[in-house]
Amino acid sequence: MFGYVRPYKSELLVREYEQYKSVYCELCRELGKSYGWTARFTLSYDCTFYALLSLAVTEAKVTLHQGRCTVNPMKKCSFIESGGEDYKKAAALSVLLTYHKLRDNVADENFWKSLGCRMALPLLSRKARKAAQRYPLLGEAAQQAVEEQKRAEDTGAGVDQCAEPTAVMLSTLFQELGGCDRTLSVPLERFGYFLGRWIYLMDAADDLEDDLQEGAFNPFVSRFGLSDKKELTEEERTGVCEACNQALNATVSQMLPPLNLLTLQNFGSIIENVVEKGIPEMQREILFLHVNRKKREKSWKIKQ
Amino acid sequence: MTDPYKVLGVSPSATDEEIKEAYRNLAKKYHPDQYSDSPLKDLADEKMKEINEAYDTITAQRKNGGAGRTGQSAYAGGYNHVNGTGGSGFNDVRSYIAAGRIADAEQILNGVPPERRNAEWYFLKGSVLYRRGWLEEAKDHFSRACQMDPGNAEYSAALNQAMNQGTGVYGGYNPRGNMNAGGCNSCDMCSSLICADCCCECMGGDLIPCC
Repeated sequence: MFGYVRPYKSELLVREYEQYKSVYCELCRELGKSYGWTARFTLSYDCTFYALLSLAVTEAKVTLHQGRCTVNPMKKCSFIESGGEDYKKAAALSVLLTYHKLRDNVADENFWKSLGCRMALPLLSRKARKAAQRYPLLGEAAQQAVEEQKRAEDTGAGVDQCAEPTAVMLSTLFQELGGCDRTLSVPLERFGYFLGRWIYLMDAADDLEDDLQEGAFNPFVSRFGLSDKKELTEEERTGVCEACNQALNATVSQMLPPLNLLTLQNFGSIIENVVEKGIPEMQREILFLHVNRKKREKSWKIKQ
Repeated sequence: MTDPYKVLGVSPSATDEEIKEAYRNLAKKYHPDQYSDSPLKDLADEKMKEINEAYDTITAQRKNGGAGRTGQSAYAGGYNHVNGTGGSGFNDVRSYIAAGRIADAEQILNGVPPERRNAEWYFLKGSVLYRRGWLEEAKDHFSRACQMDPGNAEYSAALNQAMNQGTGVYGGYNPRGNMNAGGCNSCDMCSSLICADCCCECMGGDLIPCC
């Protein structure tokens, strides 16, 4: 479920790319500081985006700080620090989401396949409890999303209903960023809803072929009438990808108007890049170029 | 009042053209058409008003107190799919949707027994789903409404909009539109020039003297 929300690198200004990287590095450092070095493995682009949005919306006072990469002390690194809660919240979110994801894997997959998750889970569960204690709103939103998700999947619900829990979770989180300012919280809530929906649908589309093979639940299976298939012919695959792309596009088209209503000073251009270019690029890579997950992660490493 | 130049995001030394350009871009962003089906309508209207006022103020100032812009009506209004008053049996639902009371509208619609669900019911249910963000089911309901009543312009407009948003023209990835569009890159330019040079040489002339 992670790593779909990221910028389209070649369209970022060098300055913007440096900023993005510095936010990413600072989040990594915050994870280490608040939840111990193992929590650094939960770092993701999605939570970086949450941190960026938080910094932009709250117009946080940020300072640039030069230092060394905490994972590899040979590398020089810059960090964008903030005096506010922005990174702390993003770190808590990162820990919570990874924790729920691991639990989900342990429940769904067989013993050997989920062995890694089983070993990591006890490590993370204490951290997740700590995160939920510090930020009850995040803890509850994540918990609720997981429960609703399970309910929707157990009843074999349609695409929209399956996407609802993730969508509602992000809309709650984003709305909270806006605080009492209605001109911020209302568009943020709407933006969060559709970004969450997009993430869920993208993940579902990405997993579709694996799920077909394993007979696992996927909302697109019943949507496109694939329930008796194990594999797709090349022609079917093209059709299915095209249809998934349409559902994703419709979601993006709802995401842009609320984003336009937010006037973001800091990082506004990076956030626009993510939504207007990064997200379409992700759809292209997955649905039209069929770049597999490993390769995608490798090709998009943050280079120091 | 806030600084009108700040509202449009231009510096006070900007030329009239630059101001017009900034105004146009913002007007496109906040255009009411995009928000007609969304809870953001009020906010968008406020923003639109703000930039209209800012633009009017600047143009008036620059004309030394001359008459302001009259083009405001171009961006006023906008359309809404669901009219408050349709000639139908679902007037109450329509007015609820128009007022943004989606839950009330849905409750009434869900209370309609299946045998009384006509094309309009599917259209209105689709509109409710659309506003909630359940885009896939909304599309299904719109297309059902169009099947039951193919001649209805209101239903087919809704279906068309839902279909168009899937193409990627309004955001997302459009597989038919190349992302780095533009048929002419530097390579094309060079090869075209060389071709033109060859043609000229055939006829005894020369376009590029060195080759």
